[in-house]
Amino acid sequence: MRHTFIIGRRVLAQLKGDTRFLVLSVIAPLIIIYFLKLLFDTFPPLVEVKSFTIPISAFIVHFLSFILCAILLVQERTRGTLERMMISGFSKTAIIGGYTLGYFGLATVQAITVLAESIWLFNLNYDTKTVVLLFMVIWLLAIVSVMLGIFISTFAKHEAQVFPFIPLIILPSVFLTGLVISPDGLPVWAQIIGKCLPLHYAVNIIHEIIKPEYKLTDTLVDFGILTGYIFGLLVLASLSLRETE
Amino acid sequence: MNAIEIVNLSKNFGKIGALNRMSLDVPEGTIYGLVGPNGSGKTTLIKALVGSLRPNSGFAKVLGLDPLKDKWELRKQIGYMPQSPALYDDLSARDNILFFGKEQNVPDLHQKTDEILSFAELTNRADDAVRTFSGGMKKRVSLCCALVHNPKIIFLDEPTAALDPYLKMLFWILFRKLAQSGVTIFVSTHQMDEAMLCDKVTILRNGEILAVDTPRNILHRGKTKLKIFDNHEEKTAVIDSTSENLADELKKFGLEKNISSVELQPDTIEDIILSIIRKKEKEEKS
Repeated sequence: MRHTFIIGRRVLAQLKGDTRFLVLSVIAPLIIIYFLKLLFDTFPPLVEVKSFTIPISAFIVHFLSFILCAILLVQERTRGTLERMMISGFSKTAIIGGYTLGYFGLATVQAITVLAESIWLFNLNYDTKTVVLLFMVIWLLAIVSVMLGIFISTFAKHEAQVFPFIPLIILPSVFLTGLVISPDGLPVWAQIIGKCLPLHYAVNIIHEIIKPEYKLTDTLVDFGILTGYIFGLLVLASLSLRETE
Repeated sequence: MNAIEIVNLSKNFGKIGALNRMSLDVPEGTIYGLVGPNGSGKTTLIKALVGSLRPNSGFAKVLGLDPLKDKWELRKQIGYMPQSPALYDDLSARDNILFFGKEQNVPDLHQKTDEILSFAELTNRADDAVRTFSGGMKKRVSLCCALVHNPKIIFLDEPTAALDPYLKMLFWILFRKLAQSGVTIFVSTHQMDEAMLCDKVTILRNGEILAVDTPRNILHRGKTKLKIFDNHEEKTAVIDSTSENLADELKKFGLEKNISSVELQPDTIEDIILSIIRKKEKEEKS
């Protein structure tokens, strides 16, 4: 556990030292949400855009957390620091745990800023309980994205090899998880693929939370599955991260 | 006692044999050099010894431990400096050293870090981000990270590549000091002249050992071109590079008044190592 904290502290110190990365990872989602607002403003008044706002904001956090974490870990491999950490005695569990711990902070900041901007820009009138629950969903999704980034990074030998995973994982999330259209009308096989993607459960929870008649018990299973992704991906990342060539 | 024992170690990457049934013994407290051109298997061998690479066959023992089975015990006792600096650019030199030192539970880590930074002449830049450092400074920080926990063996993969001659000299003075204090230095280089600074040298090519010897004995494998100017007439002889042979050759000419000058052109260690490698290449072609 001590090693996990050492790595977590180092990741945080590294993020602090890389101002450009830090600003981009917080500012970029805010700019994209502003562009979303501009797009939604062009829609006819009859189109109900409010139900898309928070799910799309969550997707932006999901996408950026995944890609940034995957690239940073691949950089560890290409620069030789990952190998050096292992030879210095850090276990792969400590490395994955440390990275997750380090990104907890960034994921929290991303979730807060994205949610705050979405509520303000789109003039969403949610009560405190709803806002807290929405924050929790986006935050959990951000952690899942970090874990997914760590897992995917084990299959890439250099930064460019991360990008083919965007059409493989991220784009299906847009079309098959209920982010844009309800998945009910999709073929069964496409619905199954959609249900394998973590965004599906985050979008489900968000759609339920913003309903006036929402009860926490309605979303407990989806919350559980989203949390399960964290542990499942942690195990997968531990198994796939190789200590020896 | 041997710090490293390697028996019939082989490693293949697909059809390419990176190490071919390699056997070596490295005595404790020596500077042991791996010399060879790029792609000769130096890095692969070092990675197999630090437990970052699984060999296909054969075995290695480092301080009597198996690099894979006893990795946790072994990693406390070894230092490793890879070819690339392998540092966190956004952290300071001090934070990089502290990070790798913390893992090893070094007592008085902060004091030890200060000492090692001072030794590497980096005290003034200790708190600057490594990304602002020159290549040579990064190498020095990387070396500090490998040394901070007082390892018994240090594996150095081309530590002086791209360093200026002054810094290279400083590195070798440090290696010698460490060896004198009982630390074993296992160092790879493609700069043949550095072989002279080692206690023992292994010459590698395509994953095979071509020669294992002391630098002095390797020098004896070379030739010396002897040029004698007798009344402005140049006479040339090629002799073995030993002083006895030189004396014999000079006796043939006698010490006559009309010998105006004697010129000796001994093979350098680089010439000799390259000739060993070329000889092997020729053997393979024929």
